[in-house]
Amino acid sequence: MKNIFFLFALLISAGFVANAHAAAPPLTMQILSSSSLSGTAGDFVTVQGQIANTGSQPQSDVTTYLSLMDNQNKLPVDLEDWSAEKGLYIGTIDAHQTLPLNWKIHFVKAGTYSLIIIAEASGSDLPQVSSITQFNVSPKRNLNPGQVLPVALGTPIVLIFIIFLLAYRRRVEE
Amino acid sequence: MFTHIWKKEIRGELYTWKSMLWLVIASLLFSFTSYLLLTNQELSLLDQTELLWLLGKIIIGVALLIVTIDASSIVNVEFEKETAESLFLSPISLKDLILGKLFASLTLWAAIFVISIPYIIVTSAGSHLAWAFVGYVALLGTLGVVGLVFLIFGLSLLYRSSKNTITTALIILLAFATPALFTSTLKNDIVSQTFSVVNPIDNIFNSLDNVLVDYKTSLLENWQFLLPLIIFCAVAFLFLFVSAKRFTKQGIIKND
Repeated sequence: MKNIFFLFALLISAGFVANAHAAAPPLTMQILSSSSLSGTAGDFVTVQGQIANTGSQPQSDVTTYLSLMDNQNKLPVDLEDWSAEKGLYIGTIDAHQTLPLNWKIHFVKAGTYSLIIIAEASGSDLPQVSSITQFNVSPKRNLNPGQVLPVALGTPIVLIFIIFLLAYRRRVEE
Repeated sequence: MFTHIWKKEIRGELYTWKSMLWLVIASLLFSFTSYLLLTNQELSLLDQTELLWLLGKIIIGVALLIVTIDASSIVNVEFEKETAESLFLSPISLKDLILGKLFASLTLWAAIFVISIPYIIVTSAGSHLAWAFVGYVALLGTLGVVGLVFLIFGLSLLYRSSKNTITTALIILLAFATPALFTSTLKNDIVSQTFSVVNPIDNIFNSLDNVLVDYKTSLLENWQFLLPLIIFCAVAFLFLFVSAKRFTKQGIIKND
């Protein structure tokens, strides 16, 4: 009977260890900037946040990264050109330490997007995610026919004029 | 003495209307591209920096293609028209010949660059990137053109045939250009990444992206792209040097 109790105790403690390993790290992420950011394609916005270790032990190998979703197409977005820093390796966060997180985001294409920041720490199977920041990006039209037309027409005309001038000079020299 | 060769080449290349027609066609291509980018409803939705990057790639791409074709024949024409022998009987050294021809090829690049400036300025209006764009197109284009011309001149001294040189040079240009047009998601493996680091065209396009899209305009922030381009020029020069040595050893009339 004693042995059965011992076996139960061992199994329960093993279960706790396994759960502890799978549990999320004591990290909290808070978005300090507005939960909804708007702008025109081409604009830059900064998503400000902070990451805190609420536990009593330091958290090592902490990495944060971004995840952006296109709400209209229901697809994740390749972060290339949206952010020069797609991930940020923090390393160790001491117990009760808070660190700032600033991400400069470049609005590349018009649409509505959802951004979350994800944090991972070593020894944990579950990541921590921030609250969602909504992006409302309006299209930017670079329509500028007034300025481009003189250049687009003028440059080849000037070149043709120079060519004929050179040909004429050559004929006179001959 | 090289200035004599340079002037002779320029006179031949840029004096007649037939020899300058390509410049008008290049300018029409820039006109068409910039007009379309700034007037087409769909294309005008592109971010302005993306638009500038696209124009920058077209300008440097056109320049590399024209200079490749020109440089492939500029040295070989002396062998094919059998003028090389009489040229070397005059007090002109191989160094003078190479330098004169190099400056002639660089003049073609300079002509394309000068023509592209109005398009760069008009498309960059309001972006505060106009002068950075002009400066980087000049710097990156010059490094790319110099390296490519060294390589082609080295091939010319080895082959002594325009046809073979132009075929090889165009294939080399294509080999450099094709992977540079791949998206970054297709460059995730180590082979593509390594090739991307050494590929001069990749470095030119990546540096333009860095300046125009990511606003990293200082030379220090583009050093990782400029250094491989400088190394490419040095390696191409070394190849030209070895080819010139071999050429001098073999003489003008090749015995093979």
